[in-house]
Amino acid sequence: MKRRVWQIFGPLLIAAGLTLALFLAPLSFKRMSPAAVRSASVAMSPTVLAGARAKNQALAQGAVPFFGSSELSRLDPFHPSALAARYHRNYRPFLIGAPGTQSLTQFINAQTMLPKLRHKKAVFIVSMQWFTRRGVMRQAFDYFYSPLETVTWVLKAKDTVADRYAARRLLCMRAVRKDRLIKSALLQVAAGQKLDRPMRLLLEARLTVLHNEDGLFSHFTVNPHERELARSIRQLPAAATNQQLDALAAKVGAAHTTNNDFGIDDRFFSSRLGEGRLAKMRGKQRSFDYRFGPEYSDFELLLAAFAKYDIDVQFVIPPINAKWASYTGLSQAKLHQAVEKLRVQLQGQGFNRVLDLSRDGNRPYFMQDTIHIGWRGWVRVDRTVAPFLAAKRQPVQYHLNSQFFTKSWRDAVVSGK
Amino acid sequence: MSPLAPYADPQYFAILLIALIPVVVGLWHGHRLRLWESGVALVFITWMFAGPHKWHEGVALVAYVIWQLALTQGFARYRRNHNATWVFVLAVCLSIAPLAAVKLTPVVALHPSLLGFMGISYLTFKSVQVLMELRDGTMKAVAPIAFLRFLLFLPTISSGPIDRFRRFQKDYDAVPERGAYLEMLGRALHHILLGFLYKYILGYAFGTVMLPQVAQAAMAAHGTSALIWPLLGYMYTYSMYLFFDFAGYSLFAVGISLVMGIQTPENFNKPFAAKNIKDFWNRWHMTLSFWFRDFIFMRVTFFIMKHKLVKNRIRVSQVAYLINFLIMGFWHGVTVYYIVYGLFHAVAIIINDYWLRFKKKHRQSLPHNRWTQALAVFITFNVVCFSFLIFSGFLFLNRLL
Amino acid sequence: MDIQKTVFDILQDLTGTDFTGSPDENLFETGTLDSMDTVQLLLALQDQLGITVPVSEFDRSEWETPAKIAAKAASLQ
Repeated sequence: MKRRVWQIFGPLLIAAGLTLALFLAPLSFKRMSPAAVRSASVAMSPTVLAGARAKNQALAQGAVPFFGSSELSRLDPFHPSALAARYHRNYRPFLIGAPGTQSLTQFINAQTMLPKLRHKKAVFIVSMQWFTRRGVMRQAFDYFYSPLETVTWVLKAKDTVADRYAARRLLCMRAVRKDRLIKSALLQVAAGQKLDRPMRLLLEARLTVLHNEDGLFSHFTVNPHERELARSIRQLPAAATNQQLDALAAKVGAAHTTNNDFGIDDRFFSSRLGEGRLAKMRGKQRSFDYRFGPEYSDFELLLAAFAKYDIDVQFVIPPINAKWASYTGLSQAKLHQAVEKLRVQLQGQGFNRVLDLSRDGNRPYFMQDTIHIGWRGWVRVDRTVAPFLAAKRQPVQYHLNSQFFTKSWRDAVVSGK
Repeated sequence: MSPLAPYADPQYFAILLIALIPVVVGLWHGHRLRLWESGVALVFITWMFAGPHKWHEGVALVAYVIWQLALTQGFARYRRNHNATWVFVLAVCLSIAPLAAVKLTPVVALHPSLLGFMGISYLTFKSVQVLMELRDGTMKAVAPIAFLRFLLFLPTISSGPIDRFRRFQKDYDAVPERGAYLEMLGRALHHILLGFLYKYILGYAFGTVMLPQVAQAAMAAHGTSALIWPLLGYMYTYSMYLFFDFAGYSLFAVGISLVMGIQTPENFNKPFAAKNIKDFWNRWHMTLSFWFRDFIFMRVTFFIMKHKLVKNRIRVSQVAYLINFLIMGFWHGVTVYYIVYGLFHAVAIIINDYWLRFKKKHRQSLPHNRWTQALAVFITFNVVCFSFLIFSGFLFLNRLL
Repeated sequence: MDIQKTVFDILQDLTGTDFTGSPDENLFETGTLDSMDTVQLLLALQDQLGITVPVSEFDRSEWETPAKIAAKAASLQ
C-alpha cells in the first residue's frame, strides 16, 4: 500500500519540489545581447515596461531613460531615438512609456531602475492630458501593472507621507487589490505600520519568484518599432545642425500633412478622424480641465523618487495642436493654468530643467497630430536635450515639500500669467 | 467578498482540496463524512454567489431548488397511485420552465432574466431526468435530501458532467475499499493535472493568446477574398480552444468527484479521433449527448414507432435526429447560430447514416484500410470544426456572411 | 417459450448476424447496435415477449451483449 501511495503521489511531490526550488533559487541570468537591448529600448511593450531585466540591463549599458507616454511611439526621423542613433550621440534613449502610462505607472515601474539611476540623468516628457479629474486610467494601470516592481517598492517603503500616499493610491487599483499578499502589505504601509516579519519573508520569497519569472520567461523579439526606427534613420542626412534639421523637419512635416487643415499627419487623420468623425469632435473638449486631480500628487511621487536618488531630470511639457484645440473647444486659459500649476510644483522644489513648449501648439509641423509632438517639435526637444545629456553632470539641489501630497494642492488654482 | 469562480484559477483547487482533507481521511478509513461534505458544499456554493453582482443569482438558485424539489416530490407522490400522461408532461414542462424563461428572456428583453444563475442548464438536466425515471417507474421515490445532494453536487454544479441519480446514489452509499480508493485518488490526480495542461496552458494559448489575433486578422480581411485564410485560422483555433477549455474543466470536475469517492462519468473521449459524426457524438460532451440520446432521441423514436406515426424506419430516425439536435441548439441559446449549429449536426448525421447504409451494401467493392480511415477522421474533424465556427457566432456577430 | 432463442432471433432480424456462437460480443462497442436498433429491440421485446422495458431502465452496461440482453429479458418477464 505504501509503495502504491508513493507511486501515485511521489512524482507530484518531486515535481512540486523541483519547481519550488527553481523559482526560489537565486538564479542569475546571462546578459542580454546588445541587439536584444536595442530592440527592448524601443519596444514600449508591457513585457519591457513592467519587467525588470531589459530596463536594467539597458541602464547598465549606459542607456538614458526617456519617460513619457504615447508621443514616444511617434518614431519619425526626428524622434530622439532616431537622432541619437544617426548622429552617434553619447547616449542611447531607452523609451519608457506607451499610450496610457501616467505618473503612478511610471513611479511604480521605475522602482528596480531607481538605484541604478542614482547620480545620473533622465528625460521626462509629461503630458497635460494625464492630469484629468480622475487621474490615471484604471484599465491602463492594470495593463502595465508590475507585481515585481510593486513588491520591490513595498519592501523599501517607510512611514513617510509619500509612501503612505503611494500605498493608498495603489490600493485603488483593481490589479493590485486582486493580489492578497500585496494588498495586505499595502494596507500596512498605508496605515503607517512597519511590515511584520512573516509578511516581509513572504514578500521576499515572492520577489525572488518574480525575478526568476522575469528572467526565465520574458523574451524580446523583433518588434515593429525597430523597423519603423530603421526607416526613419535612413531618411536623415549624415550630418546636420539643429537649424538644418528644423528645415528638413518642416519639409517632411509638410509632405505628410496634405489632407486636412489641422497640420495632422495624413494617416492619423484618415484613420482616426476620417469618414465624418471629425465633425463629431467639434466643441467636444469644452469641458476638459487639467487643473485638478490626483495626478498632481502621483507626479509628486516621481519627483520625490528623483530627489531621493539624486537624478538630474530634464522635463518636457509638450503643447497641444492649437488648431485642434480651438476646434474641439479646449480652454487655453485653463490649460495654461494647469501648466503653471505643474511648473510651480516642479520649480518650487528645485526641478529647474523644464522645457515648457505648451505655448508652441500653433507652430507649423511642430505637432504630428492632435496632442503628439513630432517633426519640428522633436527637433526643438533635441535642441535642449542633446546638450543636457552631452554635458558633464552638474550637482542638483532639490527641496521637497510634502504639501504636494495634500488634497488642498490637488484642488488648488494657480493663476496663469 | 468577491465570488468564487469554480476551477477558474489554481487557487480554487488549493482552497477546495484543503476543505476536502477530512473527507479524504474519512474515506481512507472507510467512512463518508456526510455532514462535513454537505457543509463544504453549502459554504462553497454560498461563496460562488457572494458579492454585490452575484447575490441575486444565489437567490435565484435557492428559489429554483425549492421549485424543483416541490415538483419532484409532488410528482413522486402522484405517481404512487396514478400515471396520466398529461400530468407527467405538465411536470416536465414546469421543470423546464425556469430554464426556458432564462433562455428566452434575452430574445425579448435587454436585460438577462432574474431567474438565471450559473449552472441552471445542468441542474435542469438532472431534475428532468429524475421526473422521467419516476414516470418510468425505475425510481419509486426520491428522498428530498438525496435529491438535493445529487442536484447540488459541488464538483459538477456549474457545468456538469451530467450524472444520473441512481448511478450517483450507488456511489454515494458505497464507500470504496482502501485499495480501490487509492486508485481513485491516483486517477483524480491524473485528471486534475491533465486538466491543468488542457485548461490553463492549451486552452489559454488557443483562447486568450491566439484567438484574438486570428479574430483581428479575420476582421481586417473582411470584404476581401483573402478572408478565407484567417477565417480558417479562427475556425481551428476556436475549435481547439473549445475542446481544451471544456475538456479541462470536465477533467477537473471528474477529478474532484473522485477525491470525494464518486465516479462522475467522463465527458470527452478523444473527440477529434472520431471516424464519423455519430462516433463524434459518442466522444464529445458525452454526458450531454447521452442524456439527449436516452431522454430525447430514444423516447421520440420509441413514441413514433409505437404509435406507428411514421412507417419507414429511416424516416423515423431522421425525424428524431432533427428534433434531438434542434432541442440541443435551442438549449445552447435562442440565437440563429446555435439553432443553425443544431440543424447542421442533424443534417450531418442524416447524411452520415445514408453513407453508412451505402457502405454496408457495397462492403465488397469499397476499400477499407488505414488510409480510408485516416481520411474519415480528417473529414469528420473538419466538419466538426466548421460546426464550431457556426457555434462560435463569429460569422453572425461580425456580419462576415 | 425460450426467451434466449427469441432474443437471438430479434437480434438477427435487426443486425443480420446470428449471435448463437458469440453471445458475449459487445454490441455497442462494435457499433452493431445503434440507438435506433435499441428502440426496435425494446419494441420487439414488448411485442413478442410482453415485456415493457422503460427507456430509463435501459442502462447500456447491463444490455451490452446478447447474453446479457437475454438474461435481462428473462428477469423482467
